[in-house]
Amino acid sequence: MLVDARDAFADDTLDELVLRTKQGDQVAFAALYEQCHQRVYALCLRLLADQAHAEDACQEVFVQLWHKVSQFNGQSKFTTWLHSVTSNVAISYLRKQKNWLTKVVSFENSGMDEASISLCGDLNGLDKLILKLPERARLVFVLHAVEGYRHEEIATMLGMAVGSSKSQYHRAKKLLQEWYEND
Amino acid sequence: MTKPSFDEFLAKNVEQSDRPEHMPQPQKELWSGIERAINAESPTNASQSSQQNRVDVWRQATAIAASTLVGMCAVYFSMKPATQSPVMQMSNYFEQQKQTLLVQYGSQPALTHDWQVQLQELEQAEQAIKTVLENDPENAALLQMLAQVYQQQLDLINRVHQPRWQQI
Repeated sequence: MLVDARDAFADDTLDELVLRTKQGDQVAFAALYEQCHQRVYALCLRLLADQAHAEDACQEVFVQLWHKVSQFNGQSKFTTWLHSVTSNVAISYLRKQKNWLTKVVSFENSGMDEASISLCGDLNGLDKLILKLPERARLVFVLHAVEGYRHEEIATMLGMAVGSSKSQYHRAKKLLQEWYEND
Repeated sequence: MTKPSFDEFLAKNVEQSDRPEHMPQPQKELWSGIERAINAESPTNASQSSQQNRVDVWRQATAIAASTLVGMCAVYFSMKPATQSPVMQMSNYFEQQKQTLLVQYGSQPALTHDWQVQLQELEQAEQAIKTVLENDPENAALLQMLAQVYQQQLDLINRVHQPRWQQI
């Protein structure tokens, strides 16, 4: 019950901050950032598997949030909407990073190496493994298993077939299981 | 104690992934960059905005030119018989892209003084990889490494001339 009460309190505060941010209150926006930046950064890192890119994308999310917060109509939880904005910004960030070079040679970016992962601070067991996944498998896994998107939605977001989304998910799961069991 | 099964591990970690104590944290302070970015766009900075608009128009124009160039190159390479090695194709594309950026930013001051030293180091890495590729021209890992070094050079040139928010 204590946890529920805390959650309810946190949501109330968040709603109030969102409302004040909508009115152009930068102090409220700073407080909103304080409350939410960690979850935004975490999602960016899981999707981008690059610390510097995740920090850039996290900033981009909040700059966009400042401009787009008026579009939040309260029909869903603010955090759900924020996750959706973050996913879209991170995916778009990833597309911008893919220049002609990666398109010409059509390589799939591999995940982070152990040394880079250790620089990301204190990560939980799954996050450590997610960051090692190859790009497409990682994106699909994070969006489906962690963020709860359906494969149809992921296919639209990532511009791939529904079947590809499903097969990338199974690929990711297989790799994660292999790494987990061999650890 | 026995290790939990993979499914148990997965379910537990996914459930925890939304809790702040289990979330990774940025290593840098990010707020000041965000604050500057949103304030830089406020109406009180009208003159800066108009100057920024001119820069943006220029950037858009160069971006369009660059993408046209990339498109033309793509058509050119798709129609041309594959007489060039992947390394040559990549190098030619890259050199064009790099020169375009250097010309574009030619008169613009850079944010750091040592960026040319950093660029030089990346060029040395490029040469080292190319040397190894001479003996193994189809090596996918080396080609990927070369592509990454090329990308890092372009990123460096862009980064030192186009401040990101945290650097404002």
